[in-house]
Amino acid sequence: MTATTTPGRPSAAAPPPRPRPLLTRRRRRALLPWALLAPGLAVLGGLLLYPLGRVLWLSVQDYGLDNILSGETDYNGLDNYAELLSDGYLWRVALPNTAVFAVVAVGATVAFGTLVALLLASLRPLARTAVISCIMIAWAMPAVTGTYVWVWIFEVDRGIVRQGLEAAGALGPEGLNWFADRLFFYGIVTLNIVHHGFPFVAVTVLAGLLTVPRELYEAALIDGAGAWQRFRHVTLPVLRPVFAVVTILSTIWDFKVFAQVFLMPGGDGANREVLNLGVWSYLQGIVQRDYGSGAAVAVLLTLLLLAITLVYLRSLFRDEELR
Amino acid sequence: MQPRIPRTAAVLTALALTAAGCGGGGGGDDAADDGLQVWIMEGTNPDATDYFEAVGERYEEETGTPVDVEFVPWADAHDRFTKGMAGGTLPDVAELGTTFTPEFAQLGALADLSDQAGDTSAYNEALVEAGTFDGGLYGMPWYAGVRSVIYRTDVFEEHGLEVPENWDELRETAVTISEEEDDMVAFPVPGDAAYSVMPFIWGAGGDIAQESGGTWEGGLASAESREGLSFYTDLALEDGVSSTGAATWKETDVQDNFVDGNVAMAISGSWTPRAIEEADPELAENLGAFPIPGPEGGYSPSFLGGSHLGVFEGADTEAAWAYIELLTGDEFAQRWTEESTYFPGKQAQIEALADSDDPLVRPFAVQILEASRVAPVSPKWGEVEGAQVIPGMTQSVLNGDATVEEATETANTEIEDTLNQD
Repeated sequence: MTATTTPGRPSAAAPPPRPRPLLTRRRRRALLPWALLAPGLAVLGGLLLYPLGRVLWLSVQDYGLDNILSGETDYNGLDNYAELLSDGYLWRVALPNTAVFAVVAVGATVAFGTLVALLLASLRPLARTAVISCIMIAWAMPAVTGTYVWVWIFEVDRGIVRQGLEAAGALGPEGLNWFADRLFFYGIVTLNIVHHGFPFVAVTVLAGLLTVPRELYEAALIDGAGAWQRFRHVTLPVLRPVFAVVTILSTIWDFKVFAQVFLMPGGDGANREVLNLGVWSYLQGIVQRDYGSGAAVAVLLTLLLLAITLVYLRSLFRDEELR
Repeated sequence: MQPRIPRTAAVLTALALTAAGCGGGGGGDDAADDGLQVWIMEGTNPDATDYFEAVGERYEEETGTPVDVEFVPWADAHDRFTKGMAGGTLPDVAELGTTFTPEFAQLGALADLSDQAGDTSAYNEALVEAGTFDGGLYGMPWYAGVRSVIYRTDVFEEHGLEVPENWDELRETAVTISEEEDDMVAFPVPGDAAYSVMPFIWGAGGDIAQESGGTWEGGLASAESREGLSFYTDLALEDGVSSTGAATWKETDVQDNFVDGNVAMAISGSWTPRAIEEADPELAENLGAFPIPGPEGGYSPSFLGGSHLGVFEGADTEAAWAYIELLTGDEFAQRWTEESTYFPGKQAQIEALADSDDPLVRPFAVQILEASRVAPVSPKWGEVEGAQVIPGMTQSVLNGDATVEEATETANTEIEDTLNQD
């Protein structure tokens, strides 16, 4: 089952080769990969596992500024989690804002990115290079800059969208503060995220598209398949692992969106209807100096992502095995 | 409490600073070993490097100890103190936002300066109150800033308007401007600016919270507070003198729009005229200011912000105090006022400015002397600010998500819960 074509991070979860108690030479051979992996594991352990463990440990403490000063711990069991899970705000606002938004944003990013990839695949090399260079600009834009540009475009009183809608007669002279409305707010965040995220999908899917054997399309054409049927029955099955990777990665990115929400008007806590788990964790932990609760929210977010990734990977591998 | 491990700490700090690209620009960090370490905030003040070099030189002349000043951006300030506490790298002397002082004092991170300061009656009362915790003085008043109304004199002249002297006049003036000037926001009602709504709550006779017998009692749900909030939000909702977008504006958005020429009058800090002048000298020629009027005349109290100087526990208090004396002493305090346009901490120095000829100084000085207040002096107030309780309250009314009654009730409960938690 380890024989998968999936590249990228998830393969880190592959189980270690099991050395059989045999000749020392074999054993030494079995140890060699570990020796080679050791530096990487040490770095991962220091940079990833230690902070992860620290956040877990923080999340079971009532940890405030006084603890930081004194260095004392204050274990309180699962109190932070109990409080978090019994908070109506989590279920009514923070979780839907995170999960529903992520589903929409991932769907839109992957769909749009795939369309752009199909366009790129049909272009001549020169035109393709030109278009790829253009979409790279969107990719290269830092999240903070991109967010400010979107806020500026949607500026309530004088922004270009406001002026356009007013000129078209779709908006009255009093305007509409879309930043104050949860749906509109996340509509703008989605635009921002899709704009920033689609180049990655487009380039990755394009790389996959170029590996699909031409004969498959020719055979489908002879069988009388239209464009949609060729995509549905040839491209999609062949590129399944590629789609799995871009979907998982986009899901992880879109679940932990921070700057794109925090920097929007009202997104830094003044309008509680629009906070997501990431921003909420920051406000609870760092701003309100309740590091324990903030850590608990962060752990919850991590567990959610782990669960989603596992489900994706499982479904991917199961299908591979079935075929 | 702050065991200093000079060499390790210095090496680590140096490493951290190198890694962070060392944006300080103040004294050399290599002198961190035995010099007096000072943190000064930056971000709202003009470049203060020269000023602190002069103070440092004088200090070294007098005491023989070098001073190592590090500039910390306001936006990072609280995080930097937190990290300093965690890593044992706190400075000896630091500029503290007035709301930090009770919080750090309660933690035991600050030294009690009552003995050194002695009689503080010469200082501005509100600043002293904000620096006092449990009967001890932990934050020495350094400088103050206050918000009043700034306005466009050219717009007022064009429409024959006078400076409003009560709330009805304020409303009528704003209504006139919004009727006559299509492209202008007459008086923005920013939803994300706590200090812009406080004067109306206080002006109507309301309050945020009062302590009695160790328990905080919230005041936002009182009839007076509600009246103040209603007047403020109705300016936007009923009279239409604000703009739709202002419901999510911060103070910086108000200032940006003022600089762009989109705003006729606005609640604004005493330090903003200088900033406006730098951004647009032409606009600044038509700039006036007046204290925030009271409902029936007089003035509405405005939030008195500013900075304290504090000494961290574990520092040599005498050496640190000598530096504080230098900064708050007449010579350097006056120079600071001139360079930063902030108000000095001593009452007599502020009174002198209330007679100033400068139309952009006098109204603010009057505001400080006649009508200024501080936020509840509680170690937990920082959390209330962090949770954005007051902006949340204002915004929910401006967005139509809650009535004034509902919004004040929610905010009041949150403030009481936060201030009274142990």
